[in-house]
Amino acid sequence: MVLRGTSRALTAEAFGKFLRWLSEDDEKAVLEYQSIRAKLVRYFIHKACSDPDDLFDKTIDVVVGKIDTLEEYSSPLAYCFGVAKNIWRQDLRERKPASLENKVAVPTHPDPQIHEQELKCLEHCMDKLSASDRDVLVQYHQEQGHDKIELRKQLADGLGGVNALRIRMCRIRRHLRLCVAACLDQSAN
Amino acid sequence: MKSIADRNLIRQYLLGRLDVQGELEEQLSDSILNVEMIDVVDSVEDEIIEEYVSGSLNAEHKRAVEKYFLRPPQRQEQLRFAQLLEHYLETRASHYSATNGDNLHIPWLSQFRTYGAFVASALVIIATLVYVNNVRLGREHLAKELAKERAHSSNLAAQAESVQPSIVSLTLVADRSRSPEAPIPQIDLQSSTQRVVVEIALLHSGSRPYYVRLENKAGEATMWSANLLPIISSAGDARLVFDVPALTFQSATYSFVVSSTSATGVSTKHYDFQVKGAR
Repeated sequence: MVLRGTSRALTAEAFGKFLRWLSEDDEKAVLEYQSIRAKLVRYFIHKACSDPDDLFDKTIDVVVGKIDTLEEYSSPLAYCFGVAKNIWRQDLRERKPASLENKVAVPTHPDPQIHEQELKCLEHCMDKLSASDRDVLVQYHQEQGHDKIELRKQLADGLGGVNALRIRMCRIRRHLRLCVAACLDQSAN
Repeated sequence: MKSIADRNLIRQYLLGRLDVQGELEEQLSDSILNVEMIDVVDSVEDEIIEEYVSGSLNAEHKRAVEKYFLRPPQRQEQLRFAQLLEHYLETRASHYSATNGDNLHIPWLSQFRTYGAFVASALVIIATLVYVNNVRLGREHLAKELAKERAHSSNLAAQAESVQPSIVSLTLVADRSRSPEAPIPQIDLQSSTQRVVVEIALLHSGSRPYYVRLENKAGEATMWSANLLPIISSAGDARLVFDVPALTFQSATYSFVVSSTSATGVSTKHYDFQVKGAR
């Protein structure tokens, strides 16, 4: 496993101390690190930062740089979150107005081979969905205009309301996205 | 009363439409990282992406999506996946239209009808015997599981009681002149409440500023005031959204007085509400 944040001008000793600060147990320390990483990257994404992973690395750089003074802090997550907020403020000050019009995504991957593989993976992952999830997904995307609105209303009624439908759809999409990513990784190796 | 899980507030936050220096923005950015909020926040993100893909966003929100929301590469990838999925389901819809099983055609089935009936009868008998046995064995296990589950539920209930929201929302729709006899909205403030998020639905949309002040019922004292710009939705509905420290309130009746100036003069509306349980 490669831990982000280790590639910078940090000493192995300092990073080791940081992991020890997270937990005395190696396995727990890595799990805690991954949990902090997931939360902080999510924070930077919510703040619409253009490189959340890089800002996470910067946060860890700062924390590791102060590791010898951190023994008194009992909550590594709270401390890292405080540093992350400062890193975000700094990023906000340096942020240049960026137009994303040219970068707005298109459904087809520029590499036709990858696109082909992506469709195969999507098909494979659709087949792996439970029958009820697949039905909800297909019905959600069926029809056009007014018929689509009516169909979604019926779906929402059956699932306990509009918000319940939105959350169900969000989970299905997330599941599919992760499945397709794993399938593409597997096919690339 | 709405909670911090207010989807519209989260949407405004994700689109970068809240004041980045404001306390509301700061509190939202902290609280939506909680595990229990993940599904709600992700579904609001999905909703924004879906509306962007379908072209149903208004010009202002579309600009916010392109200039702000889509900055992280993770969200750009999410958008691409949403488009891919939409495209895939449009072109392969017929492939999945018979997944409910009603239309399944199994050509070899008719050859096995006679044996099938016999096998089915045997299976029913075996299944009944197995079932009776399992019920006997399972009852004891279920009783243990139930006791465990009850203990867990009471523990969760105790935890839920100790977690109280730090933000309370207040939605004001009808002003004093529109419904003088109607009961006024109420909010209950807990000891943990720090901010009251207020949303006032405006009758007329327009981007002119509004002067908002908080007064006691008699109108003798102003406790809080601000100049605010309305938020206008894609449907053209205009709202004022702002937050006030909970410490401003005591258990009493208050009024937000909303004034605006137009070519026809100054318009003033009173939105009454009652506060209970304030510190």
